[in-house]
Amino acid sequence: MSAALPVQVIQVLQVLTIAVCAPWVTGVIAKVEARLQGRRGPRIAQPYYDLAKASRKEALAPEGASWFFLAAPVIACAAYLTVPLLIPVLTSYGLPLGYMGDILGGGFLLSLASFAVATAALETGSPYAQLGSSRAKTFSAITEPVVLFVVFTVALLTGTDLPYALAATVRSSAGQVVRPAHLLASAALFMVILHETGRIPVETHAGTNEFGMIEEARAFEHSGPYFALLTWGSELKQFILYTILADVFLAPWGLAASRQLGSVALAIVALLAKAAAVGCVVAVIDNSFAKLRLFKITEFAAAAFLLAVLGVFTLYLGGG
Amino acid sequence: MTNAPGVYQGAANAIAAVMLLLEFGMLRQALARDQVRLYAAQSALISVLAVVIAADRGLPDLYVLAATSAALKVLAVPLLLRRLLRAGGAGDEPAGVAGSYTLSVASAVLAAIGLAAFGFFAFGSLHLHGPAAPPLALAIAGAMVFVAFGLMIVRRDVASQAIGFCTLENAISLAALVVAAGLPLILETAFLFDLLVAVVVFGMLIRAHHARTESLSTADLTRLRG
Repeated sequence: MSAALPVQVIQVLQVLTIAVCAPWVTGVIAKVEARLQGRRGPRIAQPYYDLAKASRKEALAPEGASWFFLAAPVIACAAYLTVPLLIPVLTSYGLPLGYMGDILGGGFLLSLASFAVATAALETGSPYAQLGSSRAKTFSAITEPVVLFVVFTVALLTGTDLPYALAATVRSSAGQVVRPAHLLASAALFMVILHETGRIPVETHAGTNEFGMIEEARAFEHSGPYFALLTWGSELKQFILYTILADVFLAPWGLAASRQLGSVALAIVALLAKAAAVGCVVAVIDNSFAKLRLFKITEFAAAAFLLAVLGVFTLYLGGG
Repeated sequence: MTNAPGVYQGAANAIAAVMLLLEFGMLRQALARDQVRLYAAQSALISVLAVVIAADRGLPDLYVLAATSAALKVLAVPLLLRRLLRAGGAGDEPAGVAGSYTLSVASAVLAAIGLAAFGFFAFGSLHLHGPAAPPLALAIAGAMVFVAFGLMIVRRDVASQAIGFCTLENAISLAALVVAAGLPLILETAFLFDLLVAVVVFGMLIRAHHARTESLSTADLTRLRG
């Protein structure tokens, strides 16, 4: 019989799980990707070594950059670490701080982080960093309607816009899983996640070609611990998005229903397994499709938008 | 929290929704052979839907319909279409099909979303409730009809128009399955063989057009002279 944990400890554990395991997820994806390409690949812990190495290096700022240039990585990481408080990471029941923000609140935090990084990139005066941030802002404006319609679907399904409520709805019966609105919204969200984590449309995820970069280019002028923070931040964002997809939309099973130590530990293992599974699917997709040309990104966004809009339509007629 | 419509209805609705998505896939697909492949997939889904309805409602003749429809629309019609499109002899892909959009792909998809919305709500407001009918699947069939027309309008080639016409038939079969699952088998089969006639007619059209212009694009037809 294991001891019951206080809810505050579980709350902290949610953030810690995301914070500590995000580089591991990135490492798993890199490993799977390398295997698919017939390479041996880096070890799974490589992202941790990269972060440690970057944070030992000297930090430099371009001449004329204001304090915001150095503050932005910290703001971004703080925003990313706040999101796990709002979404079901380990538990199926809401934790004390879980209801301080809804899906839109989480979305605002993610955009705040992206805004801080983009502004810091503008501070540098470097053309590549500015190109990256301007592209990132433009394309996130294109995918924004998709996210909105996914939120509408959630709102119509549950009557709220709380991630915990949707997870509970999906768990409640098999009918909720096969209903078209749920499947369409999940697929649309998955496409947005592919785009947001730089996986399919135009960006080479770990590429060094500046013209193909979107998000990666924004960190060009940062160095040392600040660069480490930005890298960690994008790993955090990836893991958070995977968690939302797996724990809220696709597979909200395996979450701890009680405060027992054992079930919470099991939930951590389940979350890592789910994130690794999503990562494998993403790696397969990333490896089996050609990158699109930059201007074809609207087609990708239009396809995702189609899925999300159909999700809302089907619900509107009451049958979805 | 809205109640889910039950596993059978949910599955039927999901199959119908995937059929609509395949319709959009045909709209944006550049190559005729990929369009034919998507058409075969869509036809396979309608057979699956017939089996689902047959199992749920205990209608044995629907199994026969599903088998006939699969043999005809998943195998025969796509094979025939492929052979017709290859008639030009220029490799696997006939000239004049790829890139025959009148709109950019993203705009075409957005316009088709508008069409689908119109069809969706127009059919939805009919409030038809057949015994086997999830009303949503009927509305999706309505949306498919409009998107199929959209496909025939935004693409400037004969092949897309033939495929658009065939998927129109798929949409109507879907509506028929949903509204009148107990339709006599002989009628359903007669509809299916109508499709064969249509394919033959389109085949003659494609050949005639190809013989005159050496391309399947209809762009040349805008310069008609008296």
